[in-house]
Amino acid sequence: MWKNYLKVSFRNLKKRKLYTGINLLGLTIALVSFFVISLYIYHEWSYDRMYSGSDRIYKFNQEFVSGGERQLVSTTPSKLVPTLMEEFPEVETGTLVFDLSIFTSVMVDAGEGNQEESRFAFVDENFYKVFDFEILAGQKVNLLNEPNQLVLTENTAKRYFGSAQNAEGKSLKVDGQEYLITGVMEDFPSNSHLDFDFLASFKTHRHGKNPEWSPSNYYSYAKLRADADLEAFEAKLPQMVEKYLGEDQKEYGFETAFFTQPVTNIHLGDQALSSVKPGTDVKYLYIFGVVAILLIAIGIINYVNLATAEATERNKEVGLRKVLGADRPQLFGQFVSESMILTFGAAVLSLLIIYLIAPQFVKLGGVPLDLSLLFSLPGMLVLAGLVIVVGLLSGMYPSVILSGLEPIKALGNKVKIGGGAWVRKSLVVFQFFVSMGLLIATFVVKSQLDYMQDVNLGYQREHVVALPYHYNMRKSIEYVKQEMLRTGSAESIALAADMPIHIKAGYTIFPGGDNQKEFMITGYSVDKDLVNTIGLKILAGENFTEQDISRNVGNDSSLEFPVILNEAALERLGWSPEDAIGKKVSYGGSMAYVKAVVGDFYFNSLHHQVEPLGIFIDPDQANVLLVKMPAGNPAEHLATLESTWKKMVPDRPFNYKFIDQEYAQMYRSEERVGAIFGLFSGIAIFIACMGLFGLVSYVALRRTREISIRKVLGATQKDVIGVLSADFFRLLAISAVLAIGFGIWFSNAWLAAFANRATVGLWPYLSAILVVLLLALVTIGYRSWKVFTLNPSKTLKSD
Amino acid sequence: MIQLKEIDKYIESRFQRVFILKGIHLTINEGEFITLMGPSGAGKSTLLNILGLLDEDYDGDYFFAERNIRNMRDKERANLHKGEFGYIFQAYHLIDELTVYENIETPLLYRNVSSGERKSIIANLLDRFNMVAKKDLFPAQLSGGQQQLVGIARAIAGRPRVLLADEPTGNLHSAQAKEIMEIFKELHAEGTTIIQATHARENADFGTRLITLVDGRIETDEVITS
Repeated sequence: MWKNYLKVSFRNLKKRKLYTGINLLGLTIALVSFFVISLYIYHEWSYDRMYSGSDRIYKFNQEFVSGGERQLVSTTPSKLVPTLMEEFPEVETGTLVFDLSIFTSVMVDAGEGNQEESRFAFVDENFYKVFDFEILAGQKVNLLNEPNQLVLTENTAKRYFGSAQNAEGKSLKVDGQEYLITGVMEDFPSNSHLDFDFLASFKTHRHGKNPEWSPSNYYSYAKLRADADLEAFEAKLPQMVEKYLGEDQKEYGFETAFFTQPVTNIHLGDQALSSVKPGTDVKYLYIFGVVAILLIAIGIINYVNLATAEATERNKEVGLRKVLGADRPQLFGQFVSESMILTFGAAVLSLLIIYLIAPQFVKLGGVPLDLSLLFSLPGMLVLAGLVIVVGLLSGMYPSVILSGLEPIKALGNKVKIGGGAWVRKSLVVFQFFVSMGLLIATFVVKSQLDYMQDVNLGYQREHVVALPYHYNMRKSIEYVKQEMLRTGSAESIALAADMPIHIKAGYTIFPGGDNQKEFMITGYSVDKDLVNTIGLKILAGENFTEQDISRNVGNDSSLEFPVILNEAALERLGWSPEDAIGKKVSYGGSMAYVKAVVGDFYFNSLHHQVEPLGIFIDPDQANVLLVKMPAGNPAEHLATLESTWKKMVPDRPFNYKFIDQEYAQMYRSEERVGAIFGLFSGIAIFIACMGLFGLVSYVALRRTREISIRKVLGATQKDVIGVLSADFFRLLAISAVLAIGFGIWFSNAWLAAFANRATVGLWPYLSAILVVLLLALVTIGYRSWKVFTLNPSKTLKSD
Repeated sequence: MIQLKEIDKYIESRFQRVFILKGIHLTINEGEFITLMGPSGAGKSTLLNILGLLDEDYDGDYFFAERNIRNMRDKERANLHKGEFGYIFQAYHLIDELTVYENIETPLLYRNVSSGERKSIIANLLDRFNMVAKKDLFPAQLSGGQQQLVGIARAIAGRPRVLLADEPTGNLHSAQAKEIMEIFKELHAEGTTIIQATHARENADFGTRLITLVDGRIETDEVITS
């Protein structure tokens, strides 16, 4: 029986090439999109599940409350892990990771000169007991037990020594300090939240030898025993805080609490908690998941629409089979087997396509697609399940329609499959609703992205480059600055803690003497030239000068240092710019006076409003050298800067970053969402238009005679297109109305995440609908033209 | 075997009922070879469809082997339809996508006949109709007469007790028509009950009984002796 079904289905599909082609292509594209999105979602979901006992591994974060401000901090003190291991029987083992790149990069020398490396971390000796990465060379235990030991990842080992085996036992100089390479580990998997090139023994570090309760610079992890009670364990943490930090808390007026976060939750969890790698907002995974399902739905709808439209041509066959004794389930099997074959074919094709595009996708999306997963047994089972579900969904409706035909009427060709027309119509409406909706979403995202790139940030980010600055350069930096200015390739140069696109350091501030009014302020440590270098606007007061003192001048509390506040800070203080000048404030525990007020500028992502900011002089905290180049050919100026740098700072590489490019980088995840929406709305429109083409083809075929008669009576091509398209445009109009509704909802929901929003006018709606309408018109027009050019004498003869 | 009582079939139009069949009273015994004749629109095809359980939208009663069709459950009726009737059409109505062999096989598939049995039944039929060499051809590659042979082979493959033929020779020239009728005669001799509708008087001579329909009524009902 099944053999017969399959055989007949194959022949049917072969005979109707347009129909098969459209369906196959539609389903294949839908499946490819579905698989790619699924693999991406799986990859994001699979983060940190590869360690043995990963469900028992927790990261410790702290909640820090000071002056009414609540702050979540993902780093903890160095003393936390040792204390947990000593005092809590629930803890099987714990480890600490100190990601040095938060603060600085390092210089690594394997005997061939310095190379700048930023993925460098200190970890304690228990690291591999918690995170059991594979050790490729070296002993498996006690890898990082002693100071000045180093583990490289495979890739790094290859980079410096050619191979993992070669690296073991060799030594490397890191910032002048000699390290012995005791082992080589596998590269960190792409789905681990940890990602480094170098792991050094934490015992090398001052706090590794003598752990303390301050500062909080370290990621802490613990693996609990299998029988541990997490809640009971967490309930005991406040006692530990009280025991070790109680006095400090009272004295300095802050409160802190440690809380656990499952390691598997780091990547998709609270994005406010920073990590080694930027996480993914789980919201996006949901959005992509919905998009994947919508695309599959559009593919299925194509099939349903075409198959039912086409049913009019197959009613004879159906009637005949009924006369010959087929009952409904048997006919149902016949038609479903057809959709199954198509779906199966599409699945095979899509696997092939994914196999071919996977490398491109890695380049594009930056996310590796784990194809082995797709080709594994569970992957294949999921695939088989998907084929069955999609095949059934596609075949079901047409089968029901076809197998329900009355045999005698079907044989007599008297049937009009009109009863299900509204189903078909609503499916078309749905398809174009999804297409238009996705396109509107794309345009909304795009307008916000454009807004963010074009918005006036309140400072000059063009022609400003950031060069890495290290504390070691402090003696020569003034000469470097002078020399660069002398060449004419720099207009102004300033030292700063960070690029002005993301300033993070938190301080407390209150107006002199009144600590009831304390609040958190972001601090920006710079040198006297910052205001001119990035073109801040001074609203009142004077810029820093040579004579102004640094905040870090010593412990002489009689010396007040100058600070420049922004408008947001003044608002909190309740001062006007003019009043503020000269006022005393307590700033991060020492006294300062307001020297100037600058206009607000965005020093963080546009997701946030501008917060209070205090700028002060403290070049020792600087990490970057901001260089404002004159307008004109940047490559030329860069070359000049580089040669000056090479001459004056020969031991450090010249790595430059353009501020405006770095700024654009901040919205990478939004860019990616925009790109994915764009790509998949394109795909959705393509599939939907193919379906429309098929539908119009059938309508045209059925109405060939009518059209021929109209033509004989003098209808023009425009009239014919009008006749054929009138129905469809009514449906598209309904889709457009629905899509506008969705678009309004979407733009509100999406833009809610941004404190600074683009005003989305009508254009995303209008252009999305116009684009889709135009494509639909082209589709219908092309098909109508084909019918119109038929010779009426031929089409009318058959009657 | 078959008894029709007071069969009416009509189309309700806005102003009046148009009768296609009116007061049909008919008894058919097993082993008869009946020819239905009459002008176009007399109701021959409609009567055949009612007899073959393809049309259930009529007034009156239909008894098959003493049992009223109306009192049967769907399943029973479907089995009756499958097991007892074979159908032959003027336009052959072969399935274009299937080969000769597969066309003949289709009713057997729907009757869940085992694969071995199917093979032997089809082999016998192909042999009987001299179509062995053509078994892998598609309908479009056959002449009309050959197509109707396949149609007959398909109709009798399930060994039905009643064969219903609606103008089986209507599309054929006379030599082919004669060949078909000879086969009907053979089948009849083997015990199959045959009911055919036709315009050709000469076809009636192969049968045992001739019924003439006019305007939905039975006008004459005579025995043919050859």
